[in-house]
Amino acid sequence: MLKYIIKRILAALVTLTIIVSVVFILVRQMPIEGYFDNFEKLDQSVINAKLVQMGLTRPIHIQLINFFGKLFRGDLGTSARYSVGVSIGQLIAAKAPVSILFGLVSMVLSMLLGIPLGLEMARSQTKLSTAFATKFFDWFGTIFIVFVNAVPSAVYHIFIQEYGSRALNTSMLFSRGNWVTWVLPVVSMSLGGVAYYAMWLRRYMVDELNRDYVSLARAKGVTSKNIMKSHVFRNAFVPMIQYIPGAILFTVVGSIYVESLYSIPGMGGLLVDVIKKQDNPMVQILVMIYSCIGVVGLLLGDLMMAVIDPRITFVKKEGAR
Amino acid sequence: MKVKPSRLRDNISRPLEMSIQAEIDNIDSKLFRESAFNEDEAERIGYSNYSYWRSTFRAFSRKKIPVALLFVLVILLVFTFIQPFLPGQYAATKINNHPITGLQLSNVKPMLTTVKAAAPSGTVLSVTRSKNVPEGWLAVSNIIGSVPRRTAFTVTEYLDDWVRIEYGGAVGYVINDFSTKLKLADDPSAVPYEATSNFNVNFFIEPMDFTNNGIELFVKASDASVADDGASCVLNSQTNLYLIPSDSPFLFGTNNIGQDLWALVWSGTRTSLFIGFMVAVIEAVIGMIIGMLWGYVRRLDRILTEIYNVLDNIPTTIVLILIAYILKPGIGTLIFAMSLTSWVGMARFIRNQIIIIRDRDYNLASRCLGTSLPRQILRNLLPYLVSVIMLQMALAIPGAIGSEVFITYIGLGLPVSVPSLGNLINAGRKLLSTSQSYQLVFPTVVLSIVTISCYMIGNAFADAADPKNHR
Repeated sequence: MLKYIIKRILAALVTLTIIVSVVFILVRQMPIEGYFDNFEKLDQSVINAKLVQMGLTRPIHIQLINFFGKLFRGDLGTSARYSVGVSIGQLIAAKAPVSILFGLVSMVLSMLLGIPLGLEMARSQTKLSTAFATKFFDWFGTIFIVFVNAVPSAVYHIFIQEYGSRALNTSMLFSRGNWVTWVLPVVSMSLGGVAYYAMWLRRYMVDELNRDYVSLARAKGVTSKNIMKSHVFRNAFVPMIQYIPGAILFTVVGSIYVESLYSIPGMGGLLVDVIKKQDNPMVQILVMIYSCIGVVGLLLGDLMMAVIDPRITFVKKEGAR
Repeated sequence: MKVKPSRLRDNISRPLEMSIQAEIDNIDSKLFRESAFNEDEAERIGYSNYSYWRSTFRAFSRKKIPVALLFVLVILLVFTFIQPFLPGQYAATKINNHPITGLQLSNVKPMLTTVKAAAPSGTVLSVTRSKNVPEGWLAVSNIIGSVPRRTAFTVTEYLDDWVRIEYGGAVGYVINDFSTKLKLADDPSAVPYEATSNFNVNFFIEPMDFTNNGIELFVKASDASVADDGASCVLNSQTNLYLIPSDSPFLFGTNNIGQDLWALVWSGTRTSLFIGFMVAVIEAVIGMIIGMLWGYVRRLDRILTEIYNVLDNIPTTIVLILIAYILKPGIGTLIFAMSLTSWVGMARFIRNQIIIIRDRDYNLASRCLGTSLPRQILRNLLPYLVSVIMLQMALAIPGAIGSEVFITYIGLGLPVSVPSLGNLINAGRKLLSTSQSYQLVFPTVVLSIVTISCYMIGNAFADAADPKNHR
């Protein structure tokens, strides 16, 4: 077990190094305008002097080694165009708490809504009754899932913002003091999550319902409710646990689109802003942070699975190939 | 024929045996004929006439909604391609101007016809000459002059929503409503008296407005007889007056720079579908090739697994943003950025399936019987893979369209000169609460039809293509 965890963490570190290097090398291919605040007005000699000062004229591998050295000392560099000369670490530190708050609230909301919806949809598969309430959840859930998955989120967020703010009689943009303006971004951010949890929970539960142990439990006379609660749900939830850490981390860095749409001062909106301003150092750091969060989320998910699911063993199976 | 005597001949089996024997004896022996022993026949292997594609098709056609959506999608697809060749279409990027004013026909509301009004036979209209008016059309109006603002004119007749006036020797009719705000006498029908307005007011030949808010309308030259001086014409018959010198309406209206939204929407759908299809095809092809290699070639397994671990960890949105940021914006860039990592999931799935199926008993049996490798892949492996390949391809299209909208929003999408659904939605986004909301609604509706159809057809086909669901 310990060996597995150590191996997994080392693999993640290697992946992180590769990702950071690739992003670094790719962003270095950008035009040098992205490193200057007022490029057009600068003299060629000043530009050259500044490039030397920033170390951008050196060979790429030396630059990369210097960059890793700075990263280890916790120095993320300074912004070039977005807010000139301010350290990127400070900028992110100011934005991150907002994103974390939004991410956690919408994460909790999507689980609170998605899991019961998935449960209810799976339950309606087992019931023979065609009662309205039973069928309603199945129909509603199916339509909801198809809609959220098929229609690009970039489109329905616009409509939620417009008609939602009209219905709530509030501003279309976020303002920190007014709690009503929190509602729409949170709802927008959690819609995808609700559909995700409902869809997968339903699918895993329907899979589990066809297993032999469910038939056995039924034959023994366990009530339908108890089968659902303590047999099916528990087993169906295990594969979903793997994705929870990743989902938490992702919602924490914020939905890029929603934050930008509502002008929420978070990290997602920041990424869009710095792309529009073509601020190379900041794009580089933010892209790295987002990619690393993917790696860390997957690592945590795997580790959690290993701890929770007793069926996962670390003895290497001999392949039949 | 005789029933073999049972070893456990007891009181129960005995009568049963007897009755069966009686039944057999009753059978007409002419119905049967004995056949000689044939070694080849004994070795023959039976097969079912199960056809994979026929069963898949049957399973799919049983589902009503996806079939209907497939129908809609095919019609839509065909239409997007034939639309530019239909008669009376505007070029998507053409900026339409009014021939007389020279201004862009911006934010024109959706319309079904370009006819503004009909004028009776014998109506006299003044002709505005301009070289911008196309051949066969006349720019006309029935305005004969205008009174400058705050200038007195004489009202000679009061007709409620029109008044007849005399000004500078000319006689004409002026509209009397909020648009002219005439300052008439306390008793407006006690003519004649002097009146003024705070606006410039046009006066017309008759109490009829044959203009578009004071701007010239158009008639076909064949419907009117032009006077010798070319400054006026008389209509030969009951004639339609057109907003623009064309029979083709702006079905979806125009955008803020006077481009035909109908043409833009279809051109944009073509672009977006092209991006979607290309991404789906590239994903499928690369995914299949890498997946097959990964599954079959043992030496590649380790390295490909490591590559997979790295690529799968990076969020696709971030790859998309990074590539679009670095490269020049364009269709090629978007396709490249979207398909750069998307094949990874497909490759892994195919690899897993191949490893599982290669050593299944039926494939082993098939190999022992000497099935060639291409036939093994085609007949034994592919049916298991088709469902997921189709599903992934069907989902790639809505995914690519959605990514395109997103990447356009953050300013890294296609240039404005290339119409796409992303560009149109992004331009229409700010107009949702205005009276021009149709500029968002039309692209959104088309986009939703495409994406929802693709998604549902993909899912239904994946179900149908799974051999487990063939009954």
